[in-house]
Amino acid sequence: MRSRKRIIRTAVICIVFFALSYFALYLPFYKFPPESYGTSLKKIFSVEYIKTLIPLFIITGVSVIGIALVIFIRNKLLNKNGRDISRYSSRGKGKAPRQKPAVFMIVRWVIMVLFSFMMIWGGLLFGLRSTNISLPIFSCPANNVQMTETSCYFLSHPKDLFTELPIKNIIIFFVSTLLFIILLGRVMCGFLCPMGLVQDIMDKIRKKTKTKGITPNEKMYAAFKPIKWFMILLFFGIGFIGGNFCNFCPAITVSPILAGIGVSLYVSGFLMILILIGSFFKRRLFCNICPLGYLVGLFHKISPFRIKKDCTACTECGACYEACPMGIKTIYTEREKADVTEANCIMCGECIKCCPEDNALSLTCAGKKLYTASRKNVMSGYASKKNEVEI
Amino acid sequence: MITSSRDRERKERQDKRFINKETQTSAKYLRRIEELSGAPSGMRPFLDTLRRIYVEMKGIDIPQTEKTIGTYCVMVPQELIYAAGAVPVKLCSGNYTAFFIGDDIAPRDACPLVKAVAGFKHTGLMPVYEKCSMMIVPVTCDCKKKIAGMLGNYCDVMTMHIPTTKGDDDIDEYVSQLYDFCARLEHATGNKITYDSLAEAFHKTGRAQYELSEFIRLKKQMPYLIRGTHAMTIMNAAAYMPAEVWADALRSVNMSLSIRAMKGEKITNKKLPRILLTGSPIVYPNVKIPLLIEEMGGIVAGDETCMGERGMWDPPVITDNSFDGMIRALANRSIRPCPCPTFADNTQRIYRLKQLIKENQIQGVIYHVLRGCLVYDFEYKRIEDELGKLDVPVIRLESDYNEEDVEQLRIRIEAFIELIKLRQPPEKRSEDSREL
Ligand code: SF4
Ligand code: SF4
Ligand code: SF4
Ligand code: SF4
Repeated sequence: MRSRKRIIRTAVICIVFFALSYFALYLPFYKFPPESYGTSLKKIFSVEYIKTLIPLFIITGVSVIGIALVIFIRNKLLNKNGRDISRYSSRGKGKAPRQKPAVFMIVRWVIMVLFSFMMIWGGLLFGLRSTNISLPIFSCPANNVQMTETSCYFLSHPKDLFTELPIKNIIIFFVSTLLFIILLGRVMCGFLCPMGLVQDIMDKIRKKTKTKGITPNEKMYAAFKPIKWFMILLFFGIGFIGGNFCNFCPAITVSPILAGIGVSLYVSGFLMILILIGSFFKRRLFCNICPLGYLVGLFHKISPFRIKKDCTACTECGACYEACPMGIKTIYTEREKADVTEANCIMCGECIKCCPEDNALSLTCAGKKLYTASRKNVMSGYASKKNEVEI
Repeated sequence: MITSSRDRERKERQDKRFINKETQTSAKYLRRIEELSGAPSGMRPFLDTLRRIYVEMKGIDIPQTEKTIGTYCVMVPQELIYAAGAVPVKLCSGNYTAFFIGDDIAPRDACPLVKAVAGFKHTGLMPVYEKCSMMIVPVTCDCKKKIAGMLGNYCDVMTMHIPTTKGDDDIDEYVSQLYDFCARLEHATGNKITYDSLAEAFHKTGRAQYELSEFIRLKKQMPYLIRGTHAMTIMNAAAYMPAEVWADALRSVNMSLSIRAMKGEKITNKKLPRILLTGSPIVYPNVKIPLLIEEMGGIVAGDETCMGERGMWDPPVITDNSFDGMIRALANRSIRPCPCPTFADNTQRIYRLKQLIKENQIQGVIYHVLRGCLVYDFEYKRIEDELGKLDVPVIRLESDYNEEDVEQLRIRIEAFIELIKLRQPPEKRSEDSREL
């Protein structure tokens, strides 16, 4: 009974997604006049730039309202059960214990922000361009002044790939995409992708406001799976039946518009609102259904970046699973294998940050440990300086 | 009228006898712990706490206005109790005198721990029990379930359902129980649990856990740094001390231990057989087994019991700093890392044991089973098999809350220690004898 409900729900979502993406052109979110497609350094320093940003303001505004609404409704629902639970969601001024920021995490954020910044404005500000090399991340190449090309456009428009590009570029496209997939793998998701950054920022805001999120649950992740597969189908297939994935893709709202390019938004705008609201409550919601990430993840077995586990040190406390934005459970349940890298792992290091057992988890690159779990780090929020007993 | 006064007299006589016997046994075991050589400096507060509770028969050392909440087992998050402005006290009991009284109340096959609890509550003489505003009983076995009902006749009791598996839904369910627990606590203490008070409570217990991890790190780093009985005394005393006080006291023990380690001092130069104690809870004053092991020339180098490391080792890891996130961290910490045999599949206990064996260079395992403690007894077989594969000798010691079985235990422990000594590599033995 339950599973039938789930199938129906999934099917409905898939059909809606399909209809939305197929008829996306008829559902404009914000239309720019055709002549605004273009940008220059002068443009992003002029008032006109603000005008280009209008759709972003709308998206942010609606998302904020949406989030507030969700919280409001949730509190109402919680109280309805007769138990006054929402009262506990009061924020307070106190601080929940927080560990000292780990170097790895700082590096990750710096890279993420810097890379996205360079990707979007780097070309304009510093003239950095190497347009033919393609990275498989969701940084929209509709921003044609981007620092470098990304693979998503041609992956989702395979027809154009062979009709529009000279043969040399096709080869560069394939070689660079494959090279990045193999060399970096989903590290790109954790470190480079602007869509990932946007979602992580939403999560940071939630944590700053001490708002309750959605807790990980296998059922939820199981529900993501078919939707993800359907997204993959859409991503690769919609071009063949006359649709255009770009009118549906939420990533288009980030890079081009920020770079001052007036690209008209269709379903993308609505979808982005949903994703912003969703990733506020569930960290990296879109990454869980991202077709590109899935493609990169397929090659995880040969990526040099690995999550290693010392199973003898683990106490099965489950903290890593609770922390993982991608819902990877084996990382907590595994008791035999030393390698717990999964296709879904975006190398964000959250699990390592939360693991209280020395050495139990580590992120390695070609055998070198980059980040290792340590009790000291986890407990660092509790120890005052005078408490350090050293030998 | 006359009968009632006669009754009262009889009750008074009984009570006096109870108090006499109780304080005598407790004092005796305390003395035996004190007589063991090699106690680190800084042990005093722990011994004093045990003396205060069991020999002087006073409540725990907190201001009169503060309330205490009684808990059983390790699954009740202490943080919530601190957040409600009360002090938790662990009521699992190891008392022989109370056990004799409980023997008449509870069925013959019930476990002695539960009988002792019933006995204490029945006499109404122990301040730690009497002062509790509420008791929380996680239902980890049938005996705990029934004792919850029994205690309900005397005071406010809340039972907590412990899931049998550790899936996501079980954690969700436990989270919702913790919310109920919050409400009950607020009712019992009259204080509100807020984000701030809970965060504050996390800091309190977190410090204690920090000190504990330092303690264990030191212990692991250097074998023979401290006797297991002393370590167990420290852990037992935690049940009756507010977390900050305990953390401060443990800090000074850690200091003295690290000085010891620096100087390379050990409690002994001999290679005493290193024994891991696991199984049913070992609660003061029922410390006859660790005492016997150490008096017979072994050393308790690790323990995997409820009153020991198990309950406090794993910190609640906050992955989401909302109020709900903190509650979830507590639920997660209470259920997932806990290798209690109440869970249907408890393979993780075997891993935990292997881990302890490796870390503490254990040479033999003593599996303690309280008479009537079925869940632990069930797991013995599997653990014996698994440890057999590692070539670590194991024995099962069944005991009860009385002193009648001491001689028999002594013989078996002695034989076990001799067995380990025989298994030690010969060159080490010759080194030993040279020293002797
Ligand atoms: S809209 Fe999406 S799929 Fe299309 S080019 Fe931009 S990022 Fe790629
Ligand atoms: S999974 Fe997330 S981070 Fe990776 S490409 Fe997709 S959107 Fe970007
Ligand atoms: S397994 Fe660890 S590194 Fe990978 S996605 Fe999950 S939390 Fe991030
Ligand atoms: S956080 Fe560390 S100790 Fe806990 S389950 Fe994960 S790997 Fe094991």
